[in-house]
Amino acid sequence: MLLADNRKTARRLLEKRILFFGGKGGVGKTTCAAAVALAASREGRRVLLVSTDPAHSTSDIFERQFTREEREILPNLYGLEIDAEFEAGRYIAEVKEQVSKMFSPSMVGAASRQIDLAAAMPGVGDVALFDRLTTIIAARNAAYDLVVFDTAPTGHTVRLLQMPEMLRAWIDALTAQRRRAVERDADSRGDDGGEEQPDPIVAALERRRQRLDEVRARLTEHRDTSFVLVLIPERLPIEETSRAAGALAEAGIEIGAIVVNRVLPDGLSGEFYAARRRQEDIYRREIDHRFKTMDRIVIAQLESDVYGLNRLERISAQITG
Amino acid sequence: MRWSELRRNVGDALHGLFYFRYEQDLRAEAIELNDLFLLMCYMEMVGLPNPATLYLLEVYPHLLSEFHLWHRRMGVDHSPLAQIRCC
Repeated sequence: MLLADNRKTARRLLEKRILFFGGKGGVGKTTCAAAVALAASREGRRVLLVSTDPAHSTSDIFERQFTREEREILPNLYGLEIDAEFEAGRYIAEVKEQVSKMFSPSMVGAASRQIDLAAAMPGVGDVALFDRLTTIIAARNAAYDLVVFDTAPTGHTVRLLQMPEMLRAWIDALTAQRRRAVERDADSRGDDGGEEQPDPIVAALERRRQRLDEVRARLTEHRDTSFVLVLIPERLPIEETSRAAGALAEAGIEIGAIVVNRVLPDGLSGEFYAARRRQEDIYRREIDHRFKTMDRIVIAQLESDVYGLNRLERISAQITG
Repeated sequence: MRWSELRRNVGDALHGLFYFRYEQDLRAEAIELNDLFLLMCYMEMVGLPNPATLYLLEVYPHLLSEFHLWHRRMGVDHSPLAQIRCC
């Protein structure tokens, strides 16, 4: 195993401020994210490990309970498991509170019903989840040196990262339409834009847009933010990772490393091992070829599955070389 | 004093004469543009997905009064939609 190569790549990753870990289900995203977060925290950096995968398994790996609110897991290492439904509920409650401060009770009652209805629409969980990520990304400078996101399987995550683009397009369209209407209305009353009260709807939409722009800027800032794609040397993960790499490149997000997880350890013998090894070599060559422009980290399989701090530390040691 | 007042009134009257139709057209256009905006906000109610729904929640109370004006304009006295109870 080329530990020296791992070390160089890991060094670069550990100097980032935001890391995303993604990959096909079951390839070891959570393990790798946890191992990197652990390594960084051991170097004395304040680290927040955020799980956005609905099938949370960070708690199982650390054998410590992660919660919906940030809490300290180990010295310098904080954990958080985001729950989309809970976030949607929280978001709705916040909006209602805001609304109740600004409008008359009868208006609030009518609006509340509508807000509850909208909250039940499909897809609201995703947007709420994204909103929570936005808050963490926007605030990360304050509390943490490094934020590590352990994300849901690739398709979902890539869609989440494309969300700023999509929402922005929508908000732009809405704002433009509302502006046209407001301007025409002012024209019809003979106002020439003198002492205009800013339209509250345009103002609210614009605030949203600003925040989306901020997040987008953060995500595409290669110095601070990287995406790490995890895969194992098998056909399907290679294909999916390749697609994800394309989508990320299109979104302007840097790929910090490809982690080739669970490769067979050296120095074993036997017919079964030799056959597996031959097949693996083919896939590893293919990985080297397909992702040749990207840095790679190679992690050898342990003799048992990874849970608990001891085994996680061994993965951590492999990554940092 | 009274002279300037008179002049202003005559000015306003002339303005009204010339611009009445024009302003009416503008107002009609403004209303139409805003109806389209309302439709974009309430797309889900006609069965089209709108990814920005959650972000629109905070402007719903503003939209409520617009919606009220809309159904009055359409000649419906009370809100025709069970979900939106503006009056």
